Amino acid sequence: MNQGLHIPEELLDRIDHILAHLAEKAHTDSIVLADISGQVISIQGVMDEGTPAVVAALAAGDVAAMSELSNRIGESDPHGSFFHEGETKSIYLHNIAGSFILIVIFRSETPIGLVRLFAKRAVEQLLPVTEEFEEIVGPPADYAPDDFRKGITQELDDTFTE
Amino acid sequence: MFINWKLREINLKIVYYGPSLSGKTSSLQYIHQRTRPDRRGELISLKTREDRTLYFDYMQFEMGEISGLKPRFNIYTVPGQVYYRGTRKLVLKGVDGIVFVADSQIRRLNENIAAINDLFEDLEELGFKPDEVPLILQCNKRDLPEIMPVLALKESLGLNGVPTFESVAVDGAGVLDGLKNIISQVVTKARGKIYSSPA
Repeated sequence: MNQGLHIPEELLDRIDHILAHLAEKAHTDSIVLADISGQVISIQGVMDEGTPAVVAALAAGDVAAMSELSNRIGESDPHGSFFHEGETKSIYLHNIAGSFILIVIFRSETPIGLVRLFAKRAVEQLLPVTEEFEEIVGPPADYAPDDFRKGITQELDDTFTE
Repeated sequence: MFINWKLREINLKIVYYGPSLSGKTSSLQYIHQRTRPDRRGELISLKTREDRTLYFDYMQFEMGEISGLKPRFNIYTVPGQVYYRGTRKLVLKGVDGIVFVADSQIRRLNENIAAINDLFEDLEELGFKPDEVPLILQCNKRDLPEIMPVLALKESLGLNGVPTFESVAVDGAGVLDGLKNIISQVVTKARGKIYSSPA
């Protein structure tokens, strides 16, 4: 994971399919799949612009802290899950093999048991898919690294205001 | 680094690391303030009641599409206090570039040295080769009296070959220069990685 990750479209389609099924069966509001460092991989449902990135970053922090807490009491399950129950919306987090995080946001009237059941099934399906991630790499044919580097320099100047 | 071919995005993670009260959060606040509103996300701070960073500060900004990919930068700070070392290591997961924010005051030298040692140990424990991770040194608080000369600070930290920037984070001087340099290093490295990947 430290060496970077390139996600081909075909894998993302399979992930989207699994997440869409989970969303339908568990009546979720939105779902984010992130990597353990807090980068967004896939989103299901509607979220405001920028929200998935923040959700993923905070969830990664949460999962990391919970993993450390678990270690302190002698638990080292890389598939741990936990959830926060809110008044109107709740959040369910599932650590997938210590590499990915499934974040499910659902209305609080939805039974947590339902979410947990279908989330666990989704995780079982996601596991082999996520394992393929680091084996399949490669840039798209029209990717131009030199142009990219030059473009970044120009964009940096445009990104910051005086 | 994260390239999402479907969304045509390249995600990069930069971490501001350093001892407590060296100016990491101030740097991020300045970057957020100076980033075009249509290109930046919210600035998220997980703070203690005393307004100190508890877990991390975080912001994301993006750029226009370049060569078919939209770059997104995820910028984090870590809490500087000694007892939050575990947290600092967690935030370093998946890092692409590091800005080490040193406190230039002579009396803070030992804290700076302890923090740089922690950084290299954390990187090793996370499976990185520390000397291969893009790094810059941001010598902060250059406006204060009784500060170390930049060269002496660099040498004391063992960062002789590392690009170095003087800054006053509270008013932003030097902060963006450092950020631009680390982004340039990260992108250059990403280019090498992409070329070296099997097709």
